[in-house]
Parts: sequence; C-alpha cells; structure tokens
Amino acid sequence: MYAVDFDYYRAGSLADAQKLLGDHPGAKLLAGGHSLIPLMKLRLAAPPAVVDIGRVAELRGVTLSGAAVRIGALTTHTELAASADLGRAAPALAETAAQLGDPTVRNRGTIGGNIAHADPASDLPTVLVALDARINVVGPSGHRTIDAAKFFTGLMTTSLEENEIVTSIDVPVAQPGRGSAYVKFSHPASRYAVIGAAAAITLSGGTCSSVSVAIGGLVAHARRLPSVERALTDQAPSESVVAKAAAAVAADLGRDVSGDIFASAEYRTAVAPVYVKRALLAAAARASAR
Amino acid sequence: MTVAVEPARVFGSGIRRREDPRLLTGTARYTDDIVLPGLAHAAILRSPHAHALIMRIDTSRARTAPGVLGVFTAADTDGILTPIPCCWLLPGSKLKTTPYHPLAKDAVQYVGDPVAVVVAESPYQAQDALELIDVEYEPLPAVVDPQKAAQQGAPALHAEAPDNVAFHWTVTGGDVDAAFKCADVIVRERIVQQRLIPNAMETRGAVAQFVPATGELTLWNTTQNPHIVRFVMSLVTGIPEDRLRVIAPEVGGGFGSKIAQIPGDFITVFCSMKLGRPVKWTETRTENYQSTTHGRDHVQEVELAATRDGRVTGLRCTVWAGMGGYLSTAAPGIPTILHGLMLSGPYTIPAVKEDVYGVYTNTTPVEAYRGAGRPEATFMLERMMDRLADEIGLDPVDVRRRNIIPPFQNGHDVITGLKYDSGNYEGALAKVLEHVSYDALRAEQKAARDKGRYIGIGVSLYVEICGLGPSQVAGAVGFQGGLWESAIVRFHPSGKVNVFIGASPHGQGEETTFAQIVADELGVAVTDVKVVHGDTDATPMGWGTYGSRTTAVGGAALAIATRKIKDKAKLLASHLLEAAVEDIDYSSGRFFVRGVPDRHKTIQDIALMANVAWNMPEGMEAGLEATSFYDPPNFTYPFGAHVAVVEVDPETGHVTLKRYVAVDDCGPQINPVIVEGQVHGGVVQGIGQALWEEAVYDDTGQLLTGSLADYAIPRADMLPDIEVLSTVTPSPHHPLGVKGIGEAGTIASTCTVYNAVIDALEPFKVQSVRMPLTPERVWRAIREGAERGAGAPPLDTLGAP
Amino acid sequence: MDITGTYTFDAAADAVWTLLMDTSAIAGCVPGCRELRPDGNDRYRAELSVPVAAVTGQFDATIALEDKVQPRSYTLVVQATGRPGFVRGQAAVTLTPDNERTTVQVTAHADVGGAIARVGQRLLEGAARMMMDRFFECLRRKLGD
Repeated sequence: MYAVDFDYYRAGSLADAQKLLGDHPGAKLLAGGHSLIPLMKLRLAAPPAVVDIGRVAELRGVTLSGAAVRIGALTTHTELAASADLGRAAPALAETAAQLGDPTVRNRGTIGGNIAHADPASDLPTVLVALDARINVVGPSGHRTIDAAKFFTGLMTTSLEENEIVTSIDVPVAQPGRGSAYVKFSHPASRYAVIGAAAAITLSGGTCSSVSVAIGGLVAHARRLPSVERALTDQAPSESVVAKAAAAVAADLGRDVSGDIFASAEYRTAVAPVYVKRALLAAAARASAR
Repeated sequence: MTVAVEPARVFGSGIRRREDPRLLTGTARYTDDIVLPGLAHAAILRSPHAHALIMRIDTSRARTAPGVLGVFTAADTDGILTPIPCCWLLPGSKLKTTPYHPLAKDAVQYVGDPVAVVVAESPYQAQDALELIDVEYEPLPAVVDPQKAAQQGAPALHAEAPDNVAFHWTVTGGDVDAAFKCADVIVRERIVQQRLIPNAMETRGAVAQFVPATGELTLWNTTQNPHIVRFVMSLVTGIPEDRLRVIAPEVGGGFGSKIAQIPGDFITVFCSMKLGRPVKWTETRTENYQSTTHGRDHVQEVELAATRDGRVTGLRCTVWAGMGGYLSTAAPGIPTILHGLMLSGPYTIPAVKEDVYGVYTNTTPVEAYRGAGRPEATFMLERMMDRLADEIGLDPVDVRRRNIIPPFQNGHDVITGLKYDSGNYEGALAKVLEHVSYDALRAEQKAARDKGRYIGIGVSLYVEICGLGPSQVAGAVGFQGGLWESAIVRFHPSGKVNVFIGASPHGQGEETTFAQIVADELGVAVTDVKVVHGDTDATPMGWGTYGSRTTAVGGAALAIATRKIKDKAKLLASHLLEAAVEDIDYSSGRFFVRGVPDRHKTIQDIALMANVAWNMPEGMEAGLEATSFYDPPNFTYPFGAHVAVVEVDPETGHVTLKRYVAVDDCGPQINPVIVEGQVHGGVVQGIGQALWEEAVYDDTGQLLTGSLADYAIPRADMLPDIEVLSTVTPSPHHPLGVKGIGEAGTIASTCTVYNAVIDALEPFKVQSVRMPLTPERVWRAIREGAERGAGAPPLDTLGAP
Repeated sequence: MDITGTYTFDAAADAVWTLLMDTSAIAGCVPGCRELRPDGNDRYRAELSVPVAAVTGQFDATIALEDKVQPRSYTLVVQATGRPGFVRGQAAVTLTPDNERTTVQVTAHADVGGAIARVGQRLLEGAARMMMDRFFECLRRKLGD
C-alpha cells in the first residue's frame, strides 16, 4: 500500500484550489480521501499531484435558506447524519448518510467527494437524484448548477468539466405531505449498495400527487424510474398498487443492469422491484404521517 | 511475610485478560513495529498469472532505480536456499511432494507465486522498483477446482504428479459396502466446502537480521510456532539452529494462517543474508490474500445408509481437497488425520469409509484454518443427519438421539480407530434444547410459516479432536515433528514467578490462563506470575499454538512443572521447619507441620531460601524451578451442541440470523470469560463460512475476492448476541482435566446455521444450496422450489412486505 | 466475464462493415486510444490510456480482426497489458441488415487479470459495457459525419 510519488498542495481557498488545478495538469482533488487514497495506495491511480481542499472553510456546513438546504461539498457523512436542519428538510438523505460505509468512512468521507467520484454503488447519488437535488459547481468558466439527474452520466462519470469543483448541493425542503425514504441492499463486505432505491412521495387527499423514485447500485449511475413514477402518480399508495407500480422498474432498467460475482444482473433485475416497493411504501407512510 | 489471599479460587475465575491493556491502547509491538538501525525494505513481485512458464526475467532497470539495494530472482537463491519442505508426509497415501521454491524457478503455479524481490532503503522505493522488473510469461491453462483438477485431461501443475493428485488417503471401519447393500434408506449429497481466507487482523511479515560476522540470524516473525520456524528455517537456509533466534512478538491472530512458513519468510531471510543488513517484509492486505495460506476447499460426495427407523448403518464419502499450487507445511494432515478420523463424530456408526484426494490446483496453497478439517467433517455428518431426518420424517433431534454415543467418562473406542477420552453428548444436547425451549420454538416456527414467514431452526452436535497430541501418534501418521510441550517455572528470590513456555499464544489469552494455573497450583497471587513466550532464545522447545492444544498440552506441562516445584518446596520446608517430610502439609501456598499451622513457611519464604541457598538440605540443589516435558497419552475430545434460528426473506433471499446458542464442553474452565470469548470468535468464523465468506477464483485462476471490499467477513452488526453455555466433563487423562476451546465454536456453527437455513426453506423442498448462502443463491433455491411445485407456496404469494 | 451489446446503425451493412474495418475510425473510437499502428494483416498494436474516474489504465494492446466474413461477421481479439493488469478478450461481431439499417450484435468474453481483477471485480462488467458502448456510439457518430 505504497502510492506512487506525487506532489501535494493544500488549497487555502476555493480560488486557490482552482488555480492549483489549473497549474498542475492531471492533478486530483482530495477532500475526505476515502475514494482517492485507496486507489492511490493500490497504485490504480497515480496522479502527478493532489490538491487538498480539506481545509477550505467556504465549502463546509449545512445551511437552511428558504426552500432549500445548502450542503457544503466538504460536509462529512457524519455531519449530514447529525444535521438537525437536514433531518427535517430531507430526512432520507440524513438517514442514508448514517448507514453509509462504516464509521471511519462517515467521519472522513464528504458528500462532494462522494458524488464527484460517482461510484455506481454509492448511496448518496441515488437519494440526491430522487430528491431533485441540484449540484453547484465552479470551474474555469464560472459557476453553474446541474440537476442531480443530469450530473451522473456514466460509470464513475459525471458532467463535471475539466477542473470544475463541486462547491455545494441544494436539496429542496420537504413540504407537509411529502415523505422520502432510502432502502438499501447492502453488500456484506463493502457496504456499497447492491441495489439502492430512494423514493419521495407527496400525498394530497390520499393519493400521490407527486412521485419521484431513483435507483442505484445495479446500473452505471443513479437514475430516475419514470415508468414507476407514472404508474403510481395519482394513485392511492396501497400495498398492492405500490407493488404493481414497482414492477414497472423492469421497463426502466431494460438491459442496462450489470452484475458481479456476488449478485448477477439477472438477480438484481428480478429483486429490484422489491426494493423500489419498500422504498415507496416507506416514503408513503412518512408522507401520510407529516 | 503475608500471603496474598485470592477472593476465590483463581482457577475458574473470569479475571480480566492481562493482554488487553496493551492491545487496546495500541502499545503492543508487532513484527511491523520492529525498527532496527540500517533496516531495509523488501517488496515481492508476484505472478499475475495462475499458471505460466517464466521465459525471461529482466531486473536491470529495477537494479538501478533510486534506493535499490538488491533485486533477486530464483537463480540467486541457488546454493543458499533449499525448497520449502512439507512437514506432514502421510504414510500409505502415495504422497507426491514437488519442489516448493521460495522464489518460483521455471514456472508459476498460482496468482501470487513470488517471482522476484526488491530490497530498497524505503518501502516506497521498493514498490517503485518492482514495477521496473520485466517478466515474460508464457501462460498455461489453469485449473482451480479440486475435483476438476483430478479429472483426466486437466492441466497438470507438476511433473511429479501428472494427475495433480498429491495423495490419496483412505480410512475404513466396518463393512461399509454391506451396510449400503442392505440399507433401508440412503441419502446422498454433494457438498462444497468453499475456500476461505483466514483474515488474521495482522497480515504476515518478517524482519530478518543476519550478521555475517557471526553467522547468526535473528528473525522476528508473526507466527503461531516460533520453534518450528527455527527448525525449518535452519533446514532451508543452512543456518545452524543454535545460531538462529526466532522471536514472535505480539501476533495479531493466526487462525491457522501463521502455522505454515510461506515463501515471504524465507525470501526476507535470504535478502538479509545477501545484503548483510536487516530486512523487513510486511504483506499488504491484498498481498496477504494471495500469499498467505487459505483454508477449507473441499468437494465432498457423501452418502449415508440407515434403517427406516433412523439408525445410521454406514457413511461413505469421497473428498477432493484442494491443496493449492504446492503442499504447504501441514496441509496433507488436515483433510485426512484431522478430518477423516472424525468421520463418525458423536454417533455410533458401525461402518465408515472415506477416500480423500489431495489435489494440486492453480491457487494459493491451502493450510489449516480454525477447526482445520473438523468443521468439514462435522458439516458432512450433521448435514446428512438432517437429510436422513427429512427422508424418514423424523425431527432432526430425534434422529440424532437414536445414534448418539451414550455418556462415558474414561475412554470410548471409535470405528475410525480413535479412542475418545470422555463425553456426554446427550447432556449437551439436552441443555441446548432446554435453553431454547425447542418444542415451543418449533411451534413458533409453524405459526410464523402460516403467516408467510420463513423461520428455520438448525441443530448440530460436534466432537473434535484436540490437544494434539501424542508424539508417537504424530510419528505414526507422518507428522515430521513431535507434539509435546515443555515449560519452565522459575521462582525468583522475591517470590515472583516466571513461566517460560514453548507454545506461542497469539491472542487467545494464555498469558492470563497460564498465570491462573500457576497461581492456583502454587498458592501465589496471579499478579505475581509472568508468562514468557514467543522467543526461541528465552523459552524451551515447544511445537506451537494450533489445534486447540496450547492449554491442553502446554497447560499440562505447566501444571506438572508446578507440582515438581511443590515437591521440592516441601522437602525444603521440612528441612527448614525441622520436621519429617511426611509431617508437612500444604494448603494455599503454605507448608506447615501437621496440626501446628503456626509452624509454617510460605512458598515465598521457601523461594527466598532456595535462591540464597544459605541453608539447604544435604544434596539439594539451589534454586526453585522446574522443567517439564509433557507428551499427552491421548488427544482430548471437546464436544458440544449448538442451535441457530434464522429467518429467510422469500422476496430477496436474505438470511437473518436471529439467535445462536452454543453449549460447549471443554472440561473444567480455567477462565470462563476467556472461554466465552473463544466461543464467540469461533462461532462467528463458522457463521462467516455459512453465510458470507468465499475466496472466489475465476476459471483462469484469478482471485476475484482480492480485498476486504469483496471478501465479506462477519461484523458485529450482522450477528445476534451469541448465547454461550457449557457443560463440564473432565478429560480423564489430563492433569487438569481440560480439553481446549479455541476451535470449538467454528466446528459446529457452519452446519448449524446452514441446517437452519435449509430448514427455513423446507416448504420449498430445498435440500442443498452452495455456500456461502448469499441472497441470490437462496432466492434461486426458493424460485426453483416454487417452480417444482410439490406443495411449495406459489411464487406470487412470496410478496411479504 | 461475458457481455453483449446491440447497436443499430442508419446505414447498409456494407457501409457499416467498411467503417468497422477503417483503421482511423477504430483508432478514433477505441476509448483512450493514443496510437494505433498496423502490425501485419488485420493486426494492430495500440497504446491505450483508459480513464475511469481517478483510475487511469495504461495498456499496450494488440488488436486483431479474425474470421472475417464480409459484410456479415468477424471476431475481434484484444490482448492488453498494463500497470493495473491485463485483459484478454474476444468479441464475436455480427451485422444483420434491417431495411436501410444494420444491427450490430456483439457477444464478448473477456478474461481479466492482475490488480483490476483482484480489487475491481464489481466494476468490471459495468466498465466493459461502458467501453463497448463508447466505441460503437463513437462509430455511429462517425457514420453520421
């Protein structure tokens, strides 16, 4: 576990980080280091330089502002799990952060690093896509905001341009009648999601006025499930209705599911509706309780 | 002088482990913590191919890399290192060893086979230079499955064994063919005991310091048996044993993976010999997964014959045991002596036969892993008991009761030729069933099933062979060493005691339990006893810590040494008290004249007098210490009965372990808290095999579970509280009656959990699922059962929320 | 590891075949291809630098086109060796005309060794799919140019 030689730079500010990235082609950003460092130690990654943004204060913190919670990119999973504001505004996200990886990962790993790495089996992307989160980034051509559903574009691939940095994530504040949940099939070794399903449901008058559901872990990147959403919208979320809607996941996944030695594509495809169903039922139960 | 009075008898009390403060505060010193002046660092280049010819190795670029002190290949070791010997040469098995070179010579036999080594000033430089070595391989077809490797036409690994069969060993008892001919019922199953990775928390490693001026080698090595390391290292390097010192510092777990000597140890010593500098090598975790020995890896075809009323009449099986690319130190003995001889377990079975084929495959060598052969034997038997129960419609407990060996206190002859020491299997079974309220549990299971919930109950008995063992037997079965232990117990003038033992505990807690034995025998405070182990220059010879033998054999040596001390102390007391030795009584560390307790000497008084030697009886030597060598007259046979309760999610195939109860009998317990800890760890490792763990190779021999991200070991949040109970049946032949507990939990727990899962799937008529019981495998078994119909719940009813 | 893919091209089979045999098109579309040079008949040597997130696989590869049945089918044989490991793969490619369009069916088997197999197995299938998709998407775009 000895990395290849690299140069280390510590950024004092966001502007400093941008400059360092510009000055050192091929440099990688280091936040919590729980994705990058293992790859470097295994010598699967050998960047010539690392720009450590871990102490850039402007990237930290969770703040509630009107209709959204803004989560600084350097917020650790433990901080997400402990944030009272987030617990009220987007409980599914806080809960997800609490069950991610293990305590060491949660104490060091950051939401910005997590989504920029875009591991297909990561939990947070799935929840962010379901919750209609927006990713704020800054790069050589300035600031821009990307919908979470458009941010993740492929296996460990995002729509971040060269030298763009994730600065924060905006998550809409849940309104009364809205409930959300994340249900996960956790890999017994890595604790990554073999399947992760996130759902958000708004109930009005006993029916689902809005449904958003996303899935991750079994496809190259977290994605919405429009067929399931359509099947449940304007329906009362009874168990049988939800189960029937969840079965539509097959139409949304098509042949895009990948398997591995632990769980084949066929199995993942077959049990994905169970997790979607459970996430929807949990979200609906919370929606009716709010 | 006052005598320290223990609140209660220290033998049997659950005092805290004295090892823990240093372990828990991070101040323990492991092999990788050893830093010496001028220390250089080795990194080993390993084959990425499972099977290939080495056509060419070009080390020229690596040699000139920054910081590099030396780059070596097999050619450099000629005349310096001999091949690594296999130390368990089974007689009558046509055993074929092959040259096992520390650095591969012409061909590589598994992914991870060492090809070259770099020594550099820093580990970073060593790793950098490793990438500059060019090796040209010619890949060959590989084979990883032991049964396939033994078939005709399989790729052959070694010229010495063109059919890949390293040995064929057989055990028979009674007329098994006749038993099958007239059986009412025969049940058959093919069982795969998947390959496991031991996962000691500390990976393997070594620090070697060879001093050319004296020809002396000091080797710090993370091992379970430093004296064996010294013996074998001397054979391979030619360094005389008297100039070879092996130190096992703190050792972070072994589970069998630190018995064998692996190429890295010899390579490290070789580098120090070549360079005249101390050299360190420490495995990374992914390196450990390829280079340190694995466990299990059996394919078993088992058949059991019985009468219609559930009496077992015969057991017949064939086992293909994967050996990996080379025969590791003790490998041949594990699927044979430690497995086949335990075939009939706690039951009376009139006829048995087992054929074991040890098979070379293009995989990491296989060795002992906690339980070593016995879990694989127990699994076969306990699985077949459930199959028989299912076949004849009896409760699994009833079938077991019809075949169980009745209680015995002093020897019971077994069909395989062993003589069990003592046992009360019915007692352990009754205790576990009572604890779980077995009948009520079955009723709960039925009620849950009616609601579409699939609860399963698993029951297993076990008896294991431990306390290895009489050396005469070791010799007879081809073990190339003895199996006795020795101990020195030494009183210092101040009355404090040092124990020096050859056994080498590495986490089990014998620094504590051995002190308890001494304190109990000699009447000193347990805090006045310090146990020294793990340094061949400081301790007498011992054959190591494995096979649940440290307390059973080393502890006996210790008890006998203390009794010798007591005998001498009594003579000295009679001299000092001016009374006839027949009139001296002993109680709790005091020698006194019978009927006159005030006329006494404490053991500390006597220790002082013996050490200053101002007033010794005629002919008595100074000092108060004793050495003993204990070679057990028989093995010990701990046993127990376990119950597991699981629930299966029929929609996803997930198994939840709801309850685990272990009743174990290891004889009298020196420290019940340590016993409980050993049972916890053992049970969990066995559960790991049932539910999560497997070293997966693809067909080309690539190890796909090469890190802890893919190889799943149990974690606390995956498990229920483990309920640990015990019965006590002393061993009749052991000075303390103790039997050993290190492996007990592992031996029964795999099959107990497996049986519980199959029991949960009973409505689907599932009889066999390959381990580990991953959600996908269980889910498929449920689907296949439902599709077969035969009364199974239809698929669309499985939609429990 | 076995993966399959189906790609539809808006062109006749002959045109798709020509594209699939076009060295410069292949060089431009193999993900991370830095250099592709002929090495005998229907054989090429390539230098690949394949980035997936922070991981960059540097490979020396040989690519061979075998069993060519113009314009119906061929087998693509790839051997690549690099720092993170090695890949030996072959893909059976069949072209099926469908009116004015052509469906390209790929059935591939790959053996992967070294560090990427040891520590990256859960991502291999997804990564292989992504590479294959990128390759054929790129070719499809070239056809549109």
